[in-house]
Amino acid sequence: MGKKTTGIRYVGGYPEYMRKLISIVHKTRAKRRDYTPPPMTKEEQEEVLKLHPDYAPGGKRTISVGPNKGDIGPTEVVDLVEAYPLVEEGEIDLSKVDYSPDILIIGGGLAGTSAAIWANDSGIPKEKILLTNKLRHGDANSIMAEGGTQAADRSVDSPERHFIDTIGGGHFANKPDVVRALVEDAPLIIRWLLDLGAMFDREENGDFVEKWGGGTSIKRLHSCRDYTGLEEMRVIRDELRSRGIPCIEHFPAIELLTDGENRVTGAVLWNLETGEYKIVKAKATILATGGFGRLHIRGFPTTNHYGATCDGVVIAYRAGARLRDIDTVQYHPTGAAYPIQIVGYLLTEKLRSSGAQPVNKDGEAFVFPLEPRDVEAAALIRECYVRNKGITTPTGLRGVWLDTPLIEEKNGEGYIDKAFPGMRRMFARFDIDMRKDPVLVFPTLHYQNGGIETDPHGKTNVEGLWVAGEVSGGVHGKNRLMGNSTLDCLVFGRRAGISAAEYVKSGRGGGALTLKHVTGYVKDLERAGIRPERRSPILLPDYRGRAALARMIDVF
Amino acid sequence: MEPDIHKFPYYPGCTLKTTARNFEVSALACAKKLGIELVELPRWNCCGTVFSLTDDDLIHHVAAVRNLIRVQEMNRDGMVEENRLVTLCSMCFNTLKRVNLLVKENPENLEKINNFMYLEDDYEGNVEVIHFLELLRELDPGAISQRVERPLTGLRVAPYYGCLMLRPREVGIDDPEEPTIQGAILAAVGAEVIYNSYMKVCCGSYQTVNDKSAVARLVYDILSHAQADGAQAIVTSCPLCAYNLDSRQKEVREIYPDFEQIPVFYFTQLMAVAFGFGADLCGFDPNQLVPEHLLK
Amino acid sequence: MKTEESIMQRIADAAKAVTRGVDAKDIEHWVTIYIMGRAYKVPADLTILTAMEYAGYRFVRGVGCRQGFCGACSTVYRKEGEYKLQTGMACQTRVEDGMYLVQIPFAPAEKAAYDISKESYDASVFLKFYPEVARCVSCNTCTKSCPQDLEVMDYVQAAIRGDFQSLAEGSFDCIQCGLCAMRCPADIVQYNVAQLGRRMYGRYGMPVPKHLITRLQEIEAGKFRGKMDQLVAVPREQLEKLYASRVREAD
Ligand SMILES: Cc1cc2nc3c(=O)[nH]c(=O)nc-3n(C[C@H](O)[C@H](O)[C@H](O)COP(=O)(O)OP(=O)(O)OC[C@H]3O[C@@H](n4cnc5c(N)ncnc54)[C@H](O)[C@@H]3O)c2cc1C
Ligand code: SF4
Ligand code: SF4
Ligand code: SF4
Ligand code: SF4
Ligand code: FES
Repeated sequence: MGKKTTGIRYVGGYPEYMRKLISIVHKTRAKRRDYTPPPMTKEEQEEVLKLHPDYAPGGKRTISVGPNKGDIGPTEVVDLVEAYPLVEEGEIDLSKVDYSPDILIIGGGLAGTSAAIWANDSGIPKEKILLTNKLRHGDANSIMAEGGTQAADRSVDSPERHFIDTIGGGHFANKPDVVRALVEDAPLIIRWLLDLGAMFDREENGDFVEKWGGGTSIKRLHSCRDYTGLEEMRVIRDELRSRGIPCIEHFPAIELLTDGENRVTGAVLWNLETGEYKIVKAKATILATGGFGRLHIRGFPTTNHYGATCDGVVIAYRAGARLRDIDTVQYHPTGAAYPIQIVGYLLTEKLRSSGAQPVNKDGEAFVFPLEPRDVEAAALIRECYVRNKGITTPTGLRGVWLDTPLIEEKNGEGYIDKAFPGMRRMFARFDIDMRKDPVLVFPTLHYQNGGIETDPHGKTNVEGLWVAGEVSGGVHGKNRLMGNSTLDCLVFGRRAGISAAEYVKSGRGGGALTLKHVTGYVKDLERAGIRPERRSPILLPDYRGRAALARMIDVF
Repeated sequence: MEPDIHKFPYYPGCTLKTTARNFEVSALACAKKLGIELVELPRWNCCGTVFSLTDDDLIHHVAAVRNLIRVQEMNRDGMVEENRLVTLCSMCFNTLKRVNLLVKENPENLEKINNFMYLEDDYEGNVEVIHFLELLRELDPGAISQRVERPLTGLRVAPYYGCLMLRPREVGIDDPEEPTIQGAILAAVGAEVIYNSYMKVCCGSYQTVNDKSAVARLVYDILSHAQADGAQAIVTSCPLCAYNLDSRQKEVREIYPDFEQIPVFYFTQLMAVAFGFGADLCGFDPNQLVPEHLLK
Repeated sequence: MKTEESIMQRIADAAKAVTRGVDAKDIEHWVTIYIMGRAYKVPADLTILTAMEYAGYRFVRGVGCRQGFCGACSTVYRKEGEYKLQTGMACQTRVEDGMYLVQIPFAPAEKAAYDISKESYDASVFLKFYPEVARCVSCNTCTKSCPQDLEVMDYVQAAIRGDFQSLAEGSFDCIQCGLCAMRCPADIVQYNVAQLGRRMYGRYGMPVPKHLITRLQEIEAGKFRGKMDQLVAVPREQLEKLYASRVREAD
């Protein structure tokens, strides 16, 4: 299809020069069909990992204030942690309370939404729950999960096996009791979703179709086509709406409130559209704000949604919550590298577990397709930037091919339509037919492995504060396995909801509303010599064109 | 000996997929026995009957025409070689046939509708909408009676027509004053047919939603006259009529305490009994009033 | 700078347009689009979403996932000289010269409240909660406006006749963007009807897998408790051994 606007001639979605390279992939396919490069040895893995953004030098620094003083973290995260608050004591009126729920839940992805439902099931009346969202309810990383959710429910599988896979994948840094909760609750969570009406992929007899996830020793992944998160999120959001649990949108939390003595008692919310703030007084607060992909750590594109800006970590840290494993970032090996409109977007690992191979510009399969994510990502970076066998796009990005037509060669025609409708549609919108042509991939920033430290019930070290989902740290150690994250949200969303409800019912919780902790934190910043140049949380990234920004003036 | 099979495109309609499943089950089974395969349209939508059929309201014809286009597609794709579309529900039959006539008579309107539905093939106006009863009437004399295994001898049945199969005249499939098309079939399966002028009286139709007692009064007139003439059962070919005649008997009893209940069937159910089919294909539901000697 | 560090820098530089906003000096090809009627010159390779950002808009609404999953960025547009009103997701639609566009970041829509564990699995459930489905005139406007290319009319029709499977499968890829509902002449909220239908099908249309039931019973009975008690207590070296000695399931 010729595109007159861009001057370049496109054939089937690709510029002509790339077509020549694609024909090499077509020519070599038959040879590669039954060949898979062997997995790397431990030594080879260690060698290539030097090119992983987490291990490559630079990009990190030491945190100089707060509970994790002395630990290191990605520069972009430390910048936000070492930033000044949006509001300080005395600047806003805390005496007029706008909402006073028993349980405040901040962030409505899978974690926050399930927490609300389980809190309700544990005896907290719906009008005593408040769920607040920065964007719309469900505009979240959760809704984008493609691949699936792990749960050891086949007779040949077991929770122990799931435990070992998870701990090993996390480089043995996970908290064992938290992992135990994850794997033991998994089948129950799947059953819960079924009862709510979630449509998982099924065999003829009703059994689940279970697939491989990278890093696991057995097929354990429950999927809903390649829209697993969409389906899970839609179903539980619909349940929450049917129950009438109060939910407000475009109202991010910009700070937690405490009683001044290490207990969270509420939060300050901010109307994104009008700028008005609201004060919430709550007996228990569950933080479920998700991850930090939109910080573009090390300048990488990301798979994450627009609101993944680390807010939860920032505000909880000021309130005294301890972090762990915040230094490790998960890069997904296969983000889209072409066309420019979708750079960084996720191409699920299930493509590789269904037969797609990474292939370099000479048509060689150069890596075992299902190495752990960090190793696989590093291998792709090496291919592009050390061995120079990548393909360069018109905008200067590099990538390698993911040979998707192999999927249908191995699984039969029509398989991609059935199993990957979302992927196929994404490329088709840009005239690329992934059933016939390979697609270009490069690692992308995907997941916040660590976060606010949690116990098996979602409790933090700060009284009155629970966490669940991607914002938390401990369950995945230093590297999360595919399919363990949606599971983590649902398991610990549930546990946090129940635990917070018990806490409220026992009469604990609540107290004065103050920003004293913020004042204290600001003093620490000053003592550490940090100048008030940056403010956080940032709430949303800024992608405005530089030309427009340069001429902007603030009038109202 | 099984006859050669002739395939017809078949439009079920929503009611036959929900409350009138027994009508469909029995009809498909009987048709098969008579060498007729009713092939359901692979894609279909509501006939559109819930909307008025005033001819200046073109959007309301879209639904019906879309179904007619599906028949064209079936022929194009070789699924059937037959442009007569068979219906069972009198309501669907009436709507589809009327719209078909309206758009054929007015090519300008058809063109507008075709333009509006630009994603579909154009409707060329070659489809004919017929009722299953018309197909049965076409069969060789004796085709039905030859296949009867358990004649309904001694059962006195009154065929109820209602309005949709008979009016308006250009749509009707029988003499609107003296209809015989159902009676002939009942006779062929050995039943005794009770003729009675109330069999063309309106059953109250959708009034059943707003005013149950008005419908109950009409139903009383229809049923009690049939009973007075000796009928032991009523048959019909329309799910709405069947619903009114059957389910409203409760209200009838409230107004007329001496009223005695009488079973209501689809004509295909009695054919199924006569052809010797089991209860599943006859489509008797457990709550339906069924005269004992039919169950033997 | 070490090689590895400089490679990281090169990657970051190449991705700049995506991570930090587009810089005019890198752009060769331009188009003109009209955002709510006002003309802006924007780079030809952007989506509606990124083009609006380029023009100076910072979104607080009308964007969520940025990848076609969440349905937040519904947009309607017409192209100069064309009569047809088109629909699309701003994050998934490339800008074209002469596009007049506006976002629809919110769709007012009724959502019924129900408890699916108490509803009967037949067509009556739709008439009970969304009686307006019966008003569908089969105009197919919904299908034409669906950015996911779903056969929306067909799934509405499947709801009317209680065909849960067709409804559930036909509507599965719905991102609830609301565009169909905004254009329906019968005022049907198709995606809510579909949500109800899918949940009913998910719960009643397929049996609960036996292996799941068994596993839940085993957990309940404490079958794994002892082993797990041990596992959480073993030292790291032993976990490493266990991990290294895993046997991979055959494909
Ligand atoms: C593209 C993609 C594919 C993935 N695939 C899989 C997979 O196959 N399997 C798997 O297990 N995991 C997968 N994951 C990971 C998983 O989806 C997420 O990690 C997980 O769903 C996070 O859920 P959450 O509820 O913790 O956070 P989120 O779902 O991100 O929800 C957090 C919510 O909080 C809101 N929020 C943020 N800040 C504030 C604030 N200040 N105030 C109020 N609200 C706020 C956010 O806008 C968001 O709505 C994938 C992730 C992505 C991005
Ligand atoms: S007649 Fe009624 S029930 Fe039959 S298809 Fe038409 S609208 Fe549906
Ligand atoms: S088709 Fe258009 S112009 Fe005609 S009545 Fe409907 S909205 Fe009005
Ligand atoms: S069916 Fe409707 S709500 Fe769903 S994706 Fe299509 S247009 Fe959007
Ligand atoms: S737009 Fe409305 S009336 Fe038209 S086909 Fe779709 S649901 Fe039916
Ligand atoms: S932003 Fe989510 S679909 Fe476009």
